[in-house]
Amino acid sequence: MAAAVQEPVAPTFGDIDRSVLRVMEMPGLVYWIWVGFCFALVGIGAALWTRQIYEGLGVTGLRQPVMWAVYITNFVFWVGIAHSGTLISAILFLFRTRWRTAVYRAAETMTLFAVATAGLFPMIHLGRVWNLYWLLPYPNQRYLQPNFRSPLVWDAFAVSTYLTISALFLFMGLIPDVANAREHATGWRRTFYATLALGWRGTDEQWRHFSMAYLLLAGLATPLVLSVHSVVSWDFAMAQLPGWHSTIFAPYFVAGAIFSGVAMVITLLVPMRRWLHIEDLLTPWHFDNLAKVVLLTSLVVTYSYSVETFMAWYSGDKIEQMTFYMRYFGPWGWLFWVMVLCNCLIPLLLFSPRIRVNLTALWIISLFVNVGMWTERFVIIAGSLATNFNPSQWAFFRPSITEIMITAGSFGWFLGLFSLFARFLPIVSMTELKEGIVWLRKSLRKDYSRVA
Amino acid sequence: MSGPVEIVASFADESGCAGSIEKLRTAKPIAVRVFSPIPSHHIEHAIGKRKSPVRAFVLTGGILGVISALALTIGTSWEWNLVVGGKPIVSWPPFIVIMFELMVLFGGISAVLGFLLNARVPAFEIDAGYSSRFSGDRFGVVVRCEEGDSTRFESILRDAGAEEVGREAA
Amino acid sequence: MSSEPQIVGTAIQGRTGQVPAVAGGAFKALLVVLVLLGIVGFGLGLASGQADRAWQAYLVNLLVWLGIAQGGVVLSAAFYLTQGRWLGTTQYRLAEAFVGFIPLGFILFWGLYFGRTLIFPWVLHPIPQKAAWLNTPFLFARDGLGLALMTVLSLALVRLSRGPQAAAWQRDSADIEMPPREMRRTAVALAILFAVVYSLIAFDLVMSLAPQWHSTLFGWYFFGGAFWSAIVATAVSAVVLRARLGAHNAFRNPTVLHDLGKLVFAFSIFWVYLVFSQYIVIWYGNIPVETFFIVHRVYHMPWEAISYAVVILMWVAPFLVLLGVRPKKSPAILGTIACGGLVGVWLERYLLVVPSLSPRAIPFGWVQLLVTLGFLGAFVLCSLPGLNLTAAAALAEPWEEHE
Repeated sequence: MAAAVQEPVAPTFGDIDRSVLRVMEMPGLVYWIWVGFCFALVGIGAALWTRQIYEGLGVTGLRQPVMWAVYITNFVFWVGIAHSGTLISAILFLFRTRWRTAVYRAAETMTLFAVATAGLFPMIHLGRVWNLYWLLPYPNQRYLQPNFRSPLVWDAFAVSTYLTISALFLFMGLIPDVANAREHATGWRRTFYATLALGWRGTDEQWRHFSMAYLLLAGLATPLVLSVHSVVSWDFAMAQLPGWHSTIFAPYFVAGAIFSGVAMVITLLVPMRRWLHIEDLLTPWHFDNLAKVVLLTSLVVTYSYSVETFMAWYSGDKIEQMTFYMRYFGPWGWLFWVMVLCNCLIPLLLFSPRIRVNLTALWIISLFVNVGMWTERFVIIAGSLATNFNPSQWAFFRPSITEIMITAGSFGWFLGLFSLFARFLPIVSMTELKEGIVWLRKSLRKDYSRVA
Repeated sequence: MSGPVEIVASFADESGCAGSIEKLRTAKPIAVRVFSPIPSHHIEHAIGKRKSPVRAFVLTGGILGVISALALTIGTSWEWNLVVGGKPIVSWPPFIVIMFELMVLFGGISAVLGFLLNARVPAFEIDAGYSSRFSGDRFGVVVRCEEGDSTRFESILRDAGAEEVGREAA
Repeated sequence: MSSEPQIVGTAIQGRTGQVPAVAGGAFKALLVVLVLLGIVGFGLGLASGQADRAWQAYLVNLLVWLGIAQGGVVLSAAFYLTQGRWLGTTQYRLAEAFVGFIPLGFILFWGLYFGRTLIFPWVLHPIPQKAAWLNTPFLFARDGLGLALMTVLSLALVRLSRGPQAAAWQRDSADIEMPPREMRRTAVALAILFAVVYSLIAFDLVMSLAPQWHSTLFGWYFFGGAFWSAIVATAVSAVVLRARLGAHNAFRNPTVLHDLGKLVFAFSIFWVYLVFSQYIVIWYGNIPVETFFIVHRVYHMPWEAISYAVVILMWVAPFLVLLGVRPKKSPAILGTIACGGLVGVWLERYLLVVPSLSPRAIPFGWVQLLVTLGFLGAFVLCSLPGLNLTAAAALAEPWEEHE
């Protein structure tokens, strides 16, 4: 199939269909090697997890006082990544944002698999995984029920709700698209798409109910995004630990989630656009707007760091001041400054319109942000625990091979699932792109060679 | 002996399709069905049906979610009155979080259920007049009318800009 | 203070020539009377031994009305940055209508210097650990500088926004181009500075009144509330102008009130989310140096009643009433909820400031009332030129039924 060609500047519905359906043809060897690599990582991670279940959590680096470290960091990281997908697909839908249509399917897919990855970590972190069912409110002989006053139980409700709603939202949006794919497919694929499409034929009756349901799902998903990462942040803010007990955590974490998530969207979309030959559907205009979201949320995160620092001093609380001092200048202080570089300083480059549409530069910046945001969670979680109220308890965390490989495995799990989806289901929403074809045509005509 | 026939017209663009529906309404056929690859406010407005009842499903689901959450949290707290962390047995700030999450969960599931029930999906029969291009890049208008009126409707559709006008047995 | 009136679109027949006057002479006279009453009331308050109440009223009203005026210009900046063009030039004029009060608010801020001993507890009883931050010269220097920058930027944005380049962009809603470069940069600078400066204002003028207390979210919560107060004020203006400008003004389009109603609804939810975030963290941690602030306001009468009123007016009513589509489109309903919201905002600022200074009883007497009326009169007077321009824009982009 042809590589990037001179695409017509006024694409038609048929052009969009062809570009997207072409992606779903049988992929080549390179693709399968990549997927194989991803699941190999998963395999290694799974093997080490099995060993951890057998031998206990002692194989990790978790020691008093740092009993939450890499696994919880991964949990928060992946849930955070998920949020920007819902922001783009649901919240920007409510705002009728024009650049959303080409990117939202990939973003929503990212959400689903990110939540699926995040959901693994409470299990991984549980030494006795077989007791996971204790979280459910079932009648038992000691009349014990889950403690609804605990933020961990709120987490269980929030993340499972988020997983369910994201899946429903994604699969609803897929229905018209897979119906279209069904028409062009043969063999097992046709059966596969026909099953997913649920017999959709696009009648006015079907569209009437679909549009209403989709709008209401978007309306529900919007406050859900705010609430889920707020609940996750409250895992920490409900404690009295300095560095954790801070009222700003909820909106700060939500902003950070969107920040890391949109950066991950960019990390995924820039190569995907090249490898799947959809340059005519994902234009520099889309990336320009994604970059602006990254810049905005970076500023919010910088604001939050500043307010937290100021308030630590203003509070006059010696213990809080010591915690922050150790965070900035202690043995792991260098990690904090890496975080500031990645999250606060490098994204400032995005003020330049030229950099925003330079996809290579944008992609590199997005990688820095991913690193920076993972580091931020680690600094907050493990860092604050390491320097708690009792200095005789202080001990700094060292990650073990188990945690490192399980983290790598989680990336493999996420990327593997995402890659499978990208080749077998429409990774760009044909329906919505056609609905907003006017804006796509305008964006293709936009001249980015001489940006203001 | 004339029975009802189905006339299938295909349009290349949304506005032509919506325009034809408006013209058809005055001519009063037995039934009109529109196939469209994209959701279109234009077409929905032209057809002019009332708002979808899916809203009611979602509202009910949301309210049920709130009530369930209250029942679950308050009920289990009363069943085993453990004072945890010095918090009251029925402490509403945490319970609000659970209420909110279950409201969204039940509301979202109800939205999907409402859609499935109202749109009668999964659909096992293909609607008459459907053609695969209506899922891709063409809009279809299927008019069900008496045999005698068919030429009149065909000309209405052609005047409105239909690319093709064909006939299907009813 | 606003620049010479610009005519957008075709010529308009207003009562005083080319730009319509929204308020007649009698109304303006009433406003002047209110301002004078405010000044007199304040003066009498100072003279009759109620100086502390007078200054509390001054501070509360300054925060409320300056917040609305500034929030309006920030709303316009937000429209620019999100490329919102659902009502052409009218929506921008509407958001910027209150800009006239910002310079006055800046001047009135300096008035706080004269009441500092009665407003800031740390002036007479300095706190050693916080003295590097909480001292009079530094506080007035940083807040004064911040507000000066905000005033300059706001006036700059509005001047650019009223120009022909901006007008051309505002009317071209079928395009994907960003606003002209100068507008973009001013809007970005204004938005960033709003967050920073108004967080500072919140920490310095409100949080420091209870100097032992701190909350990292407080700045965000404060300017979030100010932003909502501006949205609510624009909704009130839209409803009023809709009624007064005849049958074909732009505000008669039901989607306009629908969109404003959606903004009121959505940001009221955002506000209550910020309230809840602070509440639940402080409640759960149960640390006395944090809880006293909330306990005093939420669990002890008489402040408890005001807390409930604030939440009802700022969230419960807007949420329940504006949930459906039709109430948002109804000027009567939207207008009532929005007015209630304004009352709620005033009560909220009152609730934040006054219990720290006057713990036991609710001081609300004629001093408070007159000073509030004075600020209200001054605010509306300063906003009249902006509202006139809004009216001109709404008449220049008329809306016909069945469009």
